[in-house]
Amino acid sequence: MIRFSNVSKHYPPTTHALQHVSLHIKPGEFVSVVGQSGSGKTTLAKLLFAEEQATKGKIVIGDWDISGIKQSEVPELRRQIGIVFQDFKLLPRKTVLENVKFALEVAGESRVRIRKIVPQVLKIVGLSDKHARYPRQLSGGEQQRVSIARALVHRPKILVADEPTGNLDTIHAHEIIQLLKKINEYGTTVVLVTHDRDIVNALKKRVVTIADGKIVSDIQRGKYILS
Amino acid sequence: MSLTLSLTRVIKFTFQNIFRNFWLSFITLTIFVLTLITVNAVLFMNVVADSVLEAVEQKVEVTFYFNTETSEDIVTSAQGYLRGFAQVRDVEYVSADEALDLFRTRHVDDEVILSSLDEIGENPFGHSLVVTTQSTDDFAFIAEAMETPEFSSYIKEQDFTDYEAVISKIEALNTRIGYAGFALAGLFVLIAIMIIFNTIRVAIYVHRDEIGIMKLVGANNWFVRGPFILEALLYSFCATILMVAITFGILGASRGQITDYFGDASASIFNYFQENALFIFGWQFLALAALSLLTTAFAMRKYLKT
Ligand SMILES: Nc1ncnc2c1ncn2[C@@H]1O[C@H](COP(=O)(O)OP(=O)(O)OP(=O)(O)O)[C@@H](O)[C@H]1O
Ligand SMILES: [Mg+2]
Repeated sequence: MIRFSNVSKHYPPTTHALQHVSLHIKPGEFVSVVGQSGSGKTTLAKLLFAEEQATKGKIVIGDWDISGIKQSEVPELRRQIGIVFQDFKLLPRKTVLENVKFALEVAGESRVRIRKIVPQVLKIVGLSDKHARYPRQLSGGEQQRVSIARALVHRPKILVADEPTGNLDTIHAHEIIQLLKKINEYGTTVVLVTHDRDIVNALKKRVVTIADGKIVSDIQRGKYILS
Repeated sequence: MSLTLSLTRVIKFTFQNIFRNFWLSFITLTIFVLTLITVNAVLFMNVVADSVLEAVEQKVEVTFYFNTETSEDIVTSAQGYLRGFAQVRDVEYVSADEALDLFRTRHVDDEVILSSLDEIGENPFGHSLVVTTQSTDDFAFIAEAMETPEFSSYIKEQDFTDYEAVISKIEALNTRIGYAGFALAGLFVLIAIMIIFNTIRVAIYVHRDEIGIMKLVGANNWFVRGPFILEALLYSFCATILMVAITFGILGASRGQITDYFGDASASIFNYFQENALFIFGWQFLALAALSLLTTAFAMRKYLKT
């Protein structure tokens, strides 16, 4: 599903955010990427949805080699990958419903399909009753659930979440992780970037640890091993 | 994706943007209108200055007085001769009798003059031709043209010299006002461009995060740009309409004052705006629309990169 072959990312002038990373993630896996601040986790995530381009190496998603992807092809890639951020990235002047719809509208989905899909994903994240609210009228956890709903509208094979619980308290964080697990159980490959020791330990899924831009451990049913 | 579907969505997002950012939209539109009004006020002042000068110029005329014994035929042939020049606006023939009548009515209260006229017995006036030209520049040419031997011997005098000072003053004033008007208009257009440029940049800057988010959820550049571009076009259009309404509103409301104040010149002021409305405001709309489109595209460029 996702294959990094000897990928390096260099930010001029002197930062080597990732160095010689090789990683293979199989369909349906739930992978946590952990590491200290500045170790290169977000960079790895950004390479997946082409916000950054690898300096060296090859990245293949499905059977699409996205190393050297053209700017005009990026929107298409992003409609195949669901993305969730720490800061939710919701459009502030659109309602919950409109935020979720938006991802379908820009992809040229028909009205009929939109009317069918949007209520479904809102139900999955448990926000059917709050669809008319604006993001500022929601709690952090609810906002994150909206952004997950939005990430799901294209029925993506891959969901990338960069510290989705970073701005949330323990209870809301737990809810979000449960949601991600549920999505993973339906068959979506989930890449979860996180700092949170408790979450990683409770998940008992594959853990990839990064330090200084290199993969230092990769363990099935792993634990958070950093101090 | 179907073009009509994307277009409907872009239009929907445009109106959402406008109404959900009501104050930003309102301020942007207001700035557009004020800028246009400023530019037009300067334009108006130039038109007023031109019209006033033109009205004064039209009143300036040169009169050729013929000797009393000159026959009517010669005077009419001179009239025809002068009318043949493109520079000549009109040549009025004032016969000796008319001149006398005019003189009498003018001095109707002056016993001394009237009685001395009676004493002379015959009409002391000759025929005369009153020439108005297209421009004050042309008087010198006309004076020279009348020096032809065919007519020069019949001409007693031309009261042209008196005007020379006035004319040259008007001309100097005209060119000076022309230059100043140009410079001022240029300056205001420049200021207007800067204001519009900056207003749009600020409006886009406010939306920079949203632009990034739209791109992250898979919108292509045209889908992100569309509503902003349409919004800029709408502001340009509404601003032009409002400005036309305001301009004609003010002109209409102050018609009385303008007529009183400028007299003969006022007609050409009104005409100018009425006859050229489409041209003036059409060009302003096109210029404003083009400027705001370019600025929008330019201001969005750096936020559309990823
Ligand atoms: N756009 C950029 N330009 C230059 N350097 C960058 C850029 N983005 C990240 N970096 C650098 O690359 C390195 C890795 O950054 P990255 O954001 O991937 O870290 P991270 O593991 O996500 O950290 P955190 O846990 O704090 O989010 C850091 O040293 C960072 O300073
Ligand atoms: Mg990070």
